[in-house]
Amino acid sequence: MLGPYEYVIWVICTLLEASVVVCALRKNAFGRYFLLNFYMATSVVASIGRYKFLHSFGLNSREYIYFYYYSDALLTVFLYFALSSLYSHVFSELKADRYFRMGTILLLSGTALFSYGVVQQSSAKLVTHFVVELSQNLYFVGLVLTYILWAAVLKMRETRTRLIQLVLSLGVYFSLFAANYAVQNLYRTRGSFFETLTPLFGCFLPMAWAYAFWRIPESARIVPSRLAVVPR
Amino acid sequence: MSRKLTVVLLAMLVLVGAMSLKTVVVTHGDGSVVMANGGAPQPPIPWKNGGAPQPPIPWKNGGAPQPPIPWK
Repeated sequence: MLGPYEYVIWVICTLLEASVVVCALRKNAFGRYFLLNFYMATSVVASIGRYKFLHSFGLNSREYIYFYYYSDALLTVFLYFALSSLYSHVFSELKADRYFRMGTILLLSGTALFSYGVVQQSSAKLVTHFVVELSQNLYFVGLVLTYILWAAVLKMRETRTRLIQLVLSLGVYFSLFAANYAVQNLYRTRGSFFETLTPLFGCFLPMAWAYAFWRIPESARIVPSRLAVVPR
Repeated sequence: MSRKLTVVLLAMLVLVGAMSLKTVVVTHGDGSVVMANGGAPQPPIPWKNGGAPQPPIPWKNGGAPQPPIPWK
């Protein structure tokens, strides 16, 4: 049974996701960061669909469970593409779009193959096993890719403030979930407390991205030396 | 050609790194999954409906000790 806390966080999270798209449209950044906005828009649609299924069938119903996990896998794939678009922005001067696209597809195919390899022993619910496994594996691929991008931003002394904000917030977002999951498994007696934090962390990314689109103009630049001290 | 091979190598390295990280994080897990999209309440995973104990696998009838496999 869901309490008011879960519903309030869910509504806030959905509103924040919608606000990312609205802020990007208002600041003429929708096309430039299309895949990021597409992910947020899809997330809003998924939230509405999830509410519909939850309201009609209940939390433990087969319908809600399947809709939740299948939509989650789809959202993770979209987030993965959004992340790859951030790579294109950071490395735009290298003119290596073709190679980034190739790497993105290759990594996605490799992850899908690996996921299939893990679940192929499951004779029952093979597709569902595959969908959840793919979602999990892509999550960790996204985590590693974000840290690599983070390092590249530091190394290349990127100065575009909005882009830095978008990348850093994605890194913090992934890290929050990974840390929460790890701590949850370390302290299982207090697992329910950490479980309540999970949807709260879900609000972080849309909030940070909405802030980046609304408050930071595309022309804003940050002094590279404030990011990291690079010894010479 | 070498650039394409570099892309393949980097993609494989990222995949290996990510799967290693996943193994480290999930090894001591309780079978739950990391969900990071939206604020919707997470339902139980599809093959773990309810909290009932898992029954024995169907092809293991009774408690008799398992004989050696015939072709060994």
